[in-house]
Amino acid sequence: MSNEANLHSHDSHDTNHEHHHETFITKYVFSQDHKMIAKQFLITGMVWAVLGGLMSVLFRLQLGYPDSHFSWLEDILGKWWVKDGQITPEAYYALVTTHGTVLVFFVLTAGLSGTFANFLIPLQVGARDMASPFMNMLSYWFFFAASCIMLSSMFVETGPFSGGWTAYPPLSALGSASPGSKTGMDLWIIAMALFVVSSLLGGLNYIVTILNMRTKGMSMTRLPLTIWALFFTAVLGVLSFPVLLSGFILLIFDRNFGTSFYLSDIFVNGVGALPNEGGSAILFQHLFWFLGHPEVYIILLPAMGMVSEILSVNSRKPIFGYMAMIGSLFSIAILAFLVWAHHMFVTGLNPFLGSIFVLLTLLIAVPSAIKVFNWLTTLWRGNIRFTPGMMFAIGFVSLFISGGLTGIWLGNSALDIHLHDTYFVIAHFHIVMGVASMFGMFAGIYHWYPKMYGKHLNNTLGYIHFWITIAGAYLIFWPMHYEGLAGMPRRYYDYSNWESFKQFADLNRFISTVAMIVFATQLLFLFNFFYSIFKGRKVTSLNPWQSNTLEWTTPLRPGHGNWPGEIPEVYRWPYDYGKDGQDFIPQTTPVGEEESHH
Amino acid sequence: MEHTAVAEHHEGGKKEVIRVTIILTVLTIIELALGFAMMGMENQRLRLAIKGAIVILMLSKAFYIVGYFMHLKHEVKNLIMTIVVPLFIFFWFIFSFLYDGNSFKNLKNTYDPYKKELSTTKAEKKEEAKEIKTDEKKKAVD
Amino acid sequence: MSTTTTAVPEKLWSGGKSPFKVEYGKLMMWYFLMSDAFTFGAFLIAYGTTRFATNGWPNPNEVFKSYPFASENANAPLVFVSIMTFILIISSVTMVLAVQAGQQMKKNAVVINLILTIIGGAAFLSCQAWEWNHLFHEGAWWGRNPFLNADGTASTTNFTNFFFTITGFHGFHVFSGVIINIIMLIMTLTDTFEKRGHYLMIEKAGLYWHFVDLVWVFVFTCFYLI
Ligand code: HEM
Ligand SMILES: [Cu+2]
Repeated sequence: MSNEANLHSHDSHDTNHEHHHETFITKYVFSQDHKMIAKQFLITGMVWAVLGGLMSVLFRLQLGYPDSHFSWLEDILGKWWVKDGQITPEAYYALVTTHGTVLVFFVLTAGLSGTFANFLIPLQVGARDMASPFMNMLSYWFFFAASCIMLSSMFVETGPFSGGWTAYPPLSALGSASPGSKTGMDLWIIAMALFVVSSLLGGLNYIVTILNMRTKGMSMTRLPLTIWALFFTAVLGVLSFPVLLSGFILLIFDRNFGTSFYLSDIFVNGVGALPNEGGSAILFQHLFWFLGHPEVYIILLPAMGMVSEILSVNSRKPIFGYMAMIGSLFSIAILAFLVWAHHMFVTGLNPFLGSIFVLLTLLIAVPSAIKVFNWLTTLWRGNIRFTPGMMFAIGFVSLFISGGLTGIWLGNSALDIHLHDTYFVIAHFHIVMGVASMFGMFAGIYHWYPKMYGKHLNNTLGYIHFWITIAGAYLIFWPMHYEGLAGMPRRYYDYSNWESFKQFADLNRFISTVAMIVFATQLLFLFNFFYSIFKGRKVTSLNPWQSNTLEWTTPLRPGHGNWPGEIPEVYRWPYDYGKDGQDFIPQTTPVGEEESHH
Repeated sequence: MEHTAVAEHHEGGKKEVIRVTIILTVLTIIELALGFAMMGMENQRLRLAIKGAIVILMLSKAFYIVGYFMHLKHEVKNLIMTIVVPLFIFFWFIFSFLYDGNSFKNLKNTYDPYKKELSTTKAEKKEEAKEIKTDEKKKAVD
Repeated sequence: MSTTTTAVPEKLWSGGKSPFKVEYGKLMMWYFLMSDAFTFGAFLIAYGTTRFATNGWPNPNEVFKSYPFASENANAPLVFVSIMTFILIISSVTMVLAVQAGQQMKKNAVVINLILTIIGGAAFLSCQAWEWNHLFHEGAWWGRNPFLNADGTASTTNFTNFFFTITGFHGFHVFSGVIINIIMLIMTLTDTFEKRGHYLMIEKAGLYWHFVDLVWVFVFTCFYLI
């Protein structure tokens, strides 16, 4: 306790004395326990994942069956969304926009980092809670408020924002530009601003906890890779979200106070010029992507970290190249800040500047390849246990390779001029970011579920979930590469208007069908998740995966404060698997006299 | 505990504060002097050089505020590094934004004759056409 | 990895303590200020980018040339803003003195210096309010720019847009800094820190206050000087 005391020299949460009874409110609602906050993030994220997934099913319905009429949809959703049994164009754009925003920010940022950073950081570094549990709680409630506001934007008369998740002006800056640019956009931007605050509160806490609150012996090079990844994720967020915030503040002024930071020479419907002058929409794109590119790594890095951990545990082998893994995380984090304009090659970006961005972008392939190499070599000749979590981790590696390769195509500005804003880009980022990070998240849930709820998930359902999802993911997104190469642009309501894209009618229908099947499979997972909380097989062993990390030294259902007694001391790195003939040696085991070095 | 690092320094504390205050004041005065010197100066090269000098003075002021007032200079070296290193991102951030802004201007001037014309016509004429609403008559610039 | 078997006490990074010998709140304040630096950085860079993308820009010396109680056609560029700058520098100095007094547990000195800092902050805000008001009456506001470019051509509204947005955002920071300092003053007067045995809280408030001063150094240079 002594080390605790001086780190908390003036904070009020003294975790040593036994907890007097907690009320329902303090335990489940305004909880300051990082494990409960993690679950709150997870459940909220899951709600959004279902809603966002449902939206994608709806707009896939339009893309796959542009000529069919689903009158029953009209009864459910109402006239604004569906007319004559067809999704209206406004609704279509509202759906793609909200789907993108929600999945990128609410599911794969808040739902992923929020869940696992909260859950794993204190447990794996050996701390009783986050540095500031109160701020941690605030972080969730800001996210919750953002969620409510985003959700309410779905119900306003003019519909939710419909200018794409990147919110480019003028659609986002001019109320008169489209129906969604009115109240829907106001709510969108408020929700996003609250979300930024939430992620800053969370990120600062994660960084400081990792730096300051490690238990005795837990030096930085003894941290599990999960923690390293979450650390860099938090750093990326803390340094890049503020830039988005600034961009949004300027956008708010453009919308409401007659400025023209992002606007210039605009006519709406040919009715006279607006007074705006001298601004540039490109400025917003720069500011947006200065966050936007780090953001994709904010989404990916936690998945990478968890996958590294899960692969090593379930191969019963040390992770290959621990220091190289940290190094590549570090260089990815740095490069993430230097490449944003590769999203802007066709905006009239200065070609010389563009060529530097090409170079820097292609450099990311190096640390990415190092990571892939190390994952594969970790698997190599391992005693692999194919648990569902492990399956998803391996699936992640596969997806990361497939999607990363197309990134290298896009990173070349010469190719990107052809491929930009086509389905090729959709395929690229869904595979490498969307589905891959989802896989990381699933892997994490399957792996840490026993610690979260003291129950096991059903394995059979887990395998079904895995196989349908991975097959479905490739069946959905692989064909999109061909559509994109053929020039099929993204964000179009109806392709059947173009002769040349009619050839893809069957393919689009196929993709939409698979999408529905995959979505249904996720419901199976949800069933598994909630059913197992109550009826799942009880965890009987403290350490069901025979893992080395600290979270498995806590009681089955750890209370607030995590360890009933002293926090254990750490004597080794977390990857001593199969060393000196021993299957695994937990971090808390002192190093023996005879022990070999590696 | 954590006070020790501080305690060692506070002997010279007051003196240091006075010294830094004087330095900041002097730097500001030089900045202002340069600012006055720049007024009405025609030589664009020289203006640019002075602006560069002002930026350097600004950065050194920032150094004194962060280093001494915020006490960063007396913190553990690794803490200094975690704060200084990420700031290097600003180099690329600033360079590429400004570079692209400049390029954008050149593109507009080359391909948008209307913009070009606007930027070479004296204002009064344009003002009537655009009828900017200002309550007071603006003072003409000689 | 496991070659280093026992944790050597002097090792900063071996866990069980802060590697920086700093308690978590101060560290968090530092990293918050880092992120705030990116907020301001983004604003100023956006301003610079727009300036680089625009033909011509008003001459700040033609715009900011008045001061309170001056006659109609006063022509005193840089005078008023340098007063503002000095106010902020001096309030930073008193803040440092408050922090140092706190480290020596001298309550009275803390109180006096905090009061001086608060006065400085309030004075700065008043100056800013005056300047905004003055510009407003000249016809400048968000979306309205009465000034001409230095070369006599028409100026876009972005000059005033950025000026009001960025100085406004900075002013908002000064305002919240003053509020924080008032809270610190109340806590000092009610002996909260005496009871805790340390004045670490004031150090954190101090960091924030100096940061506000720091930002002004940049804003001052970018808007008034160059
Ligand atoms: C070697 C690695 C990678 C390279 C070279 C690369 C390159 C690119 C390029 C050039 C684009 C712009 C395409 C366009 O709009 O025309 C792009 C889009 C995108 N990339 Fe990557 N990428 C890589 C890896 C990743 C990773 C790991 C993620 C996410 C975890 C990711 C997420 C995205 C997203 C979300 C978009 C599209 C955003 C949008 O326009 O809506 N990329 N990528
Ligand atoms: Cu990118």
